Amino acid sequence: MTLVLKGVMQSPVTPLKNDFSPDYETFERLVDFHVRTGATAISWPHHKAESHNLTIAERKALGEVAIKAVNKRVPVSIHVSALALEDTFDLARHAQKKGADAIIAITPYFWKYPPEAIYDYFVKLGTSFDLPLIAYNSPSYLDGIEFTGELTARLIQRLPNFIGMKEASFNSEKFFEILRAAQPLRSTFAMIVGVEYLLPSVSLGGAGSYSSAGAICPNLCIELYESCVAGDWDRARAAQYKLSELWLLFRDQYPSSLKGGCVIMGRPVGPTRPPLPTASPERVKFIEKRLIELGIVDSEPHGW
Amino acid sequence: MSDFRFGLTHALLTPFADGRIDYDTYRKVIDFHLRNRAEGLALPMHAGESVSLSAEERKALAEFAIKHVAGGVPVIINVSEAGTAIASSLAAHARKAGATALICSVPYYWTPPQSMLVEHFATIGQAGGLPFFVLNSPSEFSEVEFASKSVVELLGKLPHFAGLIDMSLDWQYMIEVVTVARAARPDFQLVSGNEYMISAGAIGATGMLSSLASVSPKLVRELYDLCRVQDYKAARAPQEDAAILFRLFRDAGPSGLKAAAKAMGRDCGAPRQPLPTLPDAAARALATKISNVGSVKAEPRGWA
Repeated sequence: MTLVLKGVMQSPVTPLKNDFSPDYETFERLVDFHVRTGATAISWPHHKAESHNLTIAERKALGEVAIKAVNKRVPVSIHVSALALEDTFDLARHAQKKGADAIIAITPYFWKYPPEAIYDYFVKLGTSFDLPLIAYNSPSYLDGIEFTGELTARLIQRLPNFIGMKEASFNSEKFFEILRAAQPLRSTFAMIVGVEYLLPSVSLGGAGSYSSAGAICPNLCIELYESCVAGDWDRARAAQYKLSELWLLFRDQYPSSLKGGCVIMGRPVGPTRPPLPTASPERVKFIEKRLIELGIVDSEPHGW
Repeated sequence: MSDFRFGLTHALLTPFADGRIDYDTYRKVIDFHLRNRAEGLALPMHAGESVSLSAEERKALAEFAIKHVAGGVPVIINVSEAGTAIASSLAAHARKAGATALICSVPYYWTPPQSMLVEHFATIGQAGGLPFFVLNSPSEFSEVEFASKSVVELLGKLPHFAGLIDMSLDWQYMIEVVTVARAARPDFQLVSGNEYMISAGAIGATGMLSSLASVSPKLVRELYDLCRVQDYKAARAPQEDAAILFRLFRDAGPSGLKAAAKAMGRDCGAPRQPLPTLPDAAARALATKISNVGSVKAEPRGWA
């Protein structure tokens, strides 16, 4: 159960064929690309992997591909969140059986419920499986449903396998409140920022990031992390400003534009499933222009 | 354009006695902050119950403070109002009275479109003719935010627009503003509008506006100094204490600040209606919570 997460972790997109069916071969290649370009862990399928647009059967099949492709080079966590919690538990069971190193789950979708329901849910998830558990906090996408420091502390005390949190509030107070509640109770508890806002999170004591732009610019992501850890703040700022511009480019209709950008980098991963749009040729042209302006095309690997 | 830099600016409480501004005590308040190493004084902010003062009182307060400080440190006047013309008259008055800079938030109550926000600030800023800082605090203003593209627009219209004071704590927003504003004007200042200085400083904030300075001036000074030299590891300890105090006073507001100041030997009277005076039991409970914060023991008692 000793899994300590840190650094730039990658959550791959889900490559699709033109008929929108899963492209297993490209998925394997993408996972391998992330590991070769420095990912310290793989986590799949986050929302950028279109988790909600995949069937449970597809999630299981692709999850197995990810675990096999990584082949124990780095830890693999499986994102088990689904609209119906029955499916979540099914996915977690499957992840455990197939050799995942951890599971990650967000606060339940859609419903409004009291904080105690979050506690009960994570206790049930954490005690039902023999895997390390990572929680995922995203108050702006879930209409204010969120972890507090107090709730996090209680879960750490209750669950020996609760090892970290993906935190996507992008807010100093929220991030730091959870961190300072958690770390005195479990010094290895990893506060992992939702996309690469590493500059304001590592300076506060954060452990790393689940990357957004890792399929586009792994070098830049790692440069940002390393300069933060080294305390080279000028270099960190330059990298952060650039990555923030990329995030703004990709954020809307995520991950449509991100997948569009992959085309430019010579690593096409196919379309995006509806209701999300697929980046149009004009959009891809615009993304190409921005990637050139930001110096990404010249400084990052092209192709696989 | 003046070369005014925001630095560590203290937000002052406004003392009342018998329903009027208590100038004898205000003199002591000002001297207290000067002795405790404020690099600037901001008045009246929300901590100073700005909203509960008449326009005439605000003008008198500004004149008094500027006269008493007598050039010792910059005095920055908050001219935030609902109506553009009223705010403009406060701004023109502040300049005549000898203020160094102006602070202005989005209008109270109204939620105009971004184009009108730009108009609002441009008009007030021109009336004032002093370095002009926009205060962004969406949680206090019905989630109205001064958008980054409006920051750039205002830079084009108002040569005195010197910087943005952020109270949103939002990493995405702060980084976006710094990136676009400094591309248009490299010396554009980002100021942290509260005491989450580590993440703001890492992002590029060079100043800090502190309400906690009424309670913990030594703590905010230590935090600010460590962040200015980018020693964020050492800044973690004071940041933790500041986070605890920030949370306490976010809930308790000026009523809490006044109760705490009184408990520390600096009685500034009761807050004005509609803000409540904390009942004795609540004031004692607050004082206990504050004294449990380690660094508070070293803070000054009385007006020293």
